[in-house]
Amino acid sequence: MLVIVAIFVLFPVYYMITLSLRSQSSLWSKATLLPVDSNLDNYRAAFANTDFKRALLNSVIVCGTATAIAVLFSVMAAYSLTILKFKGRDTLGRIIIIAFLTPGALLFIPLAVIMANIGLSNSLQGLILVYLSFMVPLGTYLLIGFFRSLPAELEEAARIDGASRMQALWMVLLPLVAPGLVSVAIITFTGAYNELLYSLVINISPEMRTVPVAILNLSVADEVPWGRTMAFSSIAALPVMALYFAGQRFVVEGLQTGSVKG
Amino acid sequence: MATKSLVPAKSKAAKKRDGIFAPTSLFGYFMMLPAMSVLFFFFAYPLSFEVWTSLTDKTLGNDAKFIGLDNYASLLTDPDFTTAARNSVVYVTFVQAGKFILGLGIAILLHQKLVARGFWRAVVLVPYAMPGFVAFMVWKLIYNPDVGALNIFLMQIGLIDSPIAFLGQRTWAMPSVIFATIWRGFPFWAIMFLAALQAVPKELYEAAAVDGANAWHRFKNISLPGIRPVILIVFMLSTINTINSFEAIWLTTAGGPSDATVILPVFAYKGLAAFQIGESAAAALSLVPVAMIFTIFILNRLKKD
Repeated sequence: MLVIVAIFVLFPVYYMITLSLRSQSSLWSKATLLPVDSNLDNYRAAFANTDFKRALLNSVIVCGTATAIAVLFSVMAAYSLTILKFKGRDTLGRIIIIAFLTPGALLFIPLAVIMANIGLSNSLQGLILVYLSFMVPLGTYLLIGFFRSLPAELEEAARIDGASRMQALWMVLLPLVAPGLVSVAIITFTGAYNELLYSLVINISPEMRTVPVAILNLSVADEVPWGRTMAFSSIAALPVMALYFAGQRFVVEGLQTGSVKG
Repeated sequence: MATKSLVPAKSKAAKKRDGIFAPTSLFGYFMMLPAMSVLFFFFAYPLSFEVWTSLTDKTLGNDAKFIGLDNYASLLTDPDFTTAARNSVVYVTFVQAGKFILGLGIAILLHQKLVARGFWRAVVLVPYAMPGFVAFMVWKLIYNPDVGALNIFLMQIGLIDSPIAFLGQRTWAMPSVIFATIWRGFPFWAIMFLAALQAVPKELYEAAAVDGANAWHRFKNISLPGIRPVILIVFMLSTINTINSFEAIWLTTAGGPSDATVILPVFAYKGLAAFQIGESAAAALSLVPVAMIFTIFILNRLKKD
């Protein structure tokens, strides 16, 4: 039974790879599911393509920077919302949850207009800011679950022993929610890397494109160069899939803890 | 007022400790500042800006003029909009149903698998681990009439004589995109359900078996209620995501053929590309009531636990 599931799940990946190894003329002349005419031309083309390499660099810069910022902001916010007490805490918490539940398709229009108005349209910095708009609520939501799963008296105990709040956070709490930090980093990074709509709308010129938009643009007027597109896509998928499989444990735990206890 | 006398008034020291300018509070506000700044500038402000814009006739180049609810009125009479709304409902309903059935079924299979469960879990995760844009480009390929795997397969086993343009025909386009979306998204459900199933105490099953309950009864009366909170949360998170879908449609059909697969986010995007900014803002905002009602509904059902 699981073998059927495996075929269902893995066949598209198999087909993607076999086609990435074939030339356009091979695709037109032989219609088959088998790997024939395999060669690495499409991959060589990918590594020679400056636009694509630029897009990879853009994606890594934007997503890496945004992830670092998002994790920092999320930790600070989640810590405040769970450990500290201050007036308006619950309201701010609710606002974060509402932002988390807001679909990106809702805000792409005003974000594009605002970015254009402040001159950050078509730039990596602008895209980083826009990505933070969904990464910070997401990260905060997940980390709230992790902080809540810590024993309640832990922070007080640390402070009774003489630690300041920052020391208690840095030396006691953070090491314990470290799996949560890894999980948030992976989930927000992949969310930003895979993101298409905001990037499509805000970063328009070829030098500023991210990977999803670059791959979309391989097709010209409904003509899709399949072999090349599959090769480019395989390369594009590698970093994210590697992250997911290496951090599988963290991702699953993060989603669970964030959702069930958050 | 009865409550007033039951709660003792705060002592002056307590008020000082918990007041807005108390050290703890100031520290709290400081720690919240980065996240709240992001939320203000990139959530609250754009949202208000969008509400305002939806009440104007803004297009590129002209100044926005307030026109009240005219955009909304004209949307409701626009057949393209009502089609997009209907497509959104169809798309989300079938996709979520498919993800639920497939996700739960595979979670149960994995739950019963005792050998190499981690390996199989990693296999099942593949569609979700790959970027969305890669997944949908691959399905666009599979559905292609000239070089796609589906047509090649169907012709090889003799089921059809000539290729079907799955993404190019009105009857096939939406189901094809729905199927691809289910393929891409079900692993999230499967993994979450698996983890939830593994958290149900085994003694409950043993006791039920001793009492003579069969597999179906054990599933219905122990497993399902046991994972109910997770079902609701996954349902909520996934549906908000699916209502939002843009790339699933844009990469495979770009809304075609003849707008047959246009859903609301795609409709709003096309409006923006045509510089109909005011009207597109109104279209995008039409997502809000639906998402809100749905979210509140789920959160209420969760509270009932």
